[in-house]
Amino acid sequence: MADPFVIETVELRKRYGGVEALRGLDLQVPPGSIFGFLGRNGAGKTTAMKILLGMTRASGGDARVFGLAPGSPRESVDIRRRAAFVSEDKGLYDSMHVGAMVRFTASFFPHWRADLERKYLRAFELPPDASIGTLSRGMRTKLSLLLALCRGAELLLLDEPTSGLDPAVTEQVLQALVAYVADEATTVFFSSHQIADVDQIADRVAIIERGRTAVTGALDDLRRDYRRIQLVFDDAAPDAVFHAPGVARVRRSGRVLTLLSSAGAEQVVDEARALAPASMDVFPVSLKEIFLETVNAEE
Amino acid sequence: MFWYKSWLDTRWRFLIALVVLTCSAVLTVFAYPKVVALLPAAANVGSGALGRRIREIAELERSYRGYVWVQAFRQTLTQLGVLFAVLLGTGGLLPSGSKDTALFTMSLPASRNELLGARVATGLAQLAVLAWAPALVFPLLSPAIGQTFTVGSALVHGACLFVAWAVFFSLALLLSTSVRGAWGPALIALCAAFVLAAVDQAAGGVAAYSIFAVMSGENYFRTGALPWAGLLLSAAASAAMLYAGSRRFARHDF
Repeated sequence: MADPFVIETVELRKRYGGVEALRGLDLQVPPGSIFGFLGRNGAGKTTAMKILLGMTRASGGDARVFGLAPGSPRESVDIRRRAAFVSEDKGLYDSMHVGAMVRFTASFFPHWRADLERKYLRAFELPPDASIGTLSRGMRTKLSLLLALCRGAELLLLDEPTSGLDPAVTEQVLQALVAYVADEATTVFFSSHQIADVDQIADRVAIIERGRTAVTGALDDLRRDYRRIQLVFDDAAPDAVFHAPGVARVRRSGRVLTLLSSAGAEQVVDEARALAPASMDVFPVSLKEIFLETVNAEE
Repeated sequence: MFWYKSWLDTRWRFLIALVVLTCSAVLTVFAYPKVVALLPAAANVGSGALGRRIREIAELERSYRGYVWVQAFRQTLTQLGVLFAVLLGTGGLLPSGSKDTALFTMSLPASRNELLGARVATGLAQLAVLAWAPALVFPLLSPAIGQTFTVGSALVHGACLFVAWAVFFSLALLLSTSVRGAWGPALIALCAAFVLAAVDQAAGGVAAYSIFAVMSGENYFRTGALPWAGLLLSAAASAAMLYAGSRRFARHDF
């Protein structure tokens, strides 16, 4: 039976000396999804990706990619054969030319897509005889993406793929990614702290904060379930405690009480009515708000 | 293809080493007539330890074979070779020693042993060329000054250089899996070589069994017999250090 998840982690932990980079990360990435992995700098996103590819050993918990254990040297090679990774810094060999870098990478992948290579060399305007050391950050990102996409990979792991790019190149990279996923049976797992990028292309997200999964789910479900409920009182807002399920955050400021609910608004609204507010409004919540509320709540 | 990347990462160190070592061998050959002219003066040096040493060297250099051994195999190639072996051992275990490019390399579907194996194979192949190319200069160019040096001797001395240099190459590679930074492992390995050389100088009779005696092929020069024990011990030391390096590399977190 096929594995229901391309990536699955349970209570994944990683400790570097006295620093806990991951403190129990739970992830489930279904096949065919574009999974946005959101978190602040230092939240543990890159560490998680390195563990998934067998570059770093977990200190505890379990991780599976295609049902394989990345902690096993032999199985991690199988994972890397079926997955492609683009690191945040887009580190490539400066001593090679673009063409040599492509040939070097292609030699590791029997199912290298020469048709896609030609397509992306043209689309990204990458000159094969240009030295990699002379490429701009945008060109380096495009080349890294080309090297990932042409592998015929079943899973793309992209660490901050648009970091440091201008809006035009960012758009080009995201469009290329979406077009690729539309044509190929591929799962994309990409980390970012660019919420707009995630909002634009992801269908599922996880928000990681301080090494733990704080929020995870389908983006449409999150948009449907999360609501901001704003209560305005005639006098100072009461120091109320809410028992309705899914109250993720309560903030009191003068006469205003703001609640973030992760499970719809109905039960919270019912409970809030008992406080007799002067007015009560329910607003939809953007991914950016969910993210900010989540990481601020963790503080 | 890792061998290609290893070659790119180390090619300038290798090519500079090849030019320097080969040129030093060529210069050694063509300096011989001038050295021969100076040899009678060596008889008039003082009677102290330095004078005794100079006379001893002059005595060895009365034959062309002795001259080549003293100047090239015992001195220049030994000293410069250790330096280049260390530089090759520390260069390019991971591409450009950079953490960023290491992530790209480690994302490729190959085991760490394959990566390390390609690096070691490339480095040892380069060391072999560095050992035999200057050694073969002697049989090739000696007829130009009316002397001869057998190909067999050149090959044996080249083998001694290769096996002993490999110890320092392996030490540098082991250190580069353990010590951060590009220059730290090289400096530590060179310090270790310096300490070994100092011990070699101070050890007297034991020095015949030292790594530098193996490197210079002293036993072969003096007796015509290969220093099998020294060669085997050196090869074993290299193998042990490469194995330790591979274990450390296998456990490394990127």
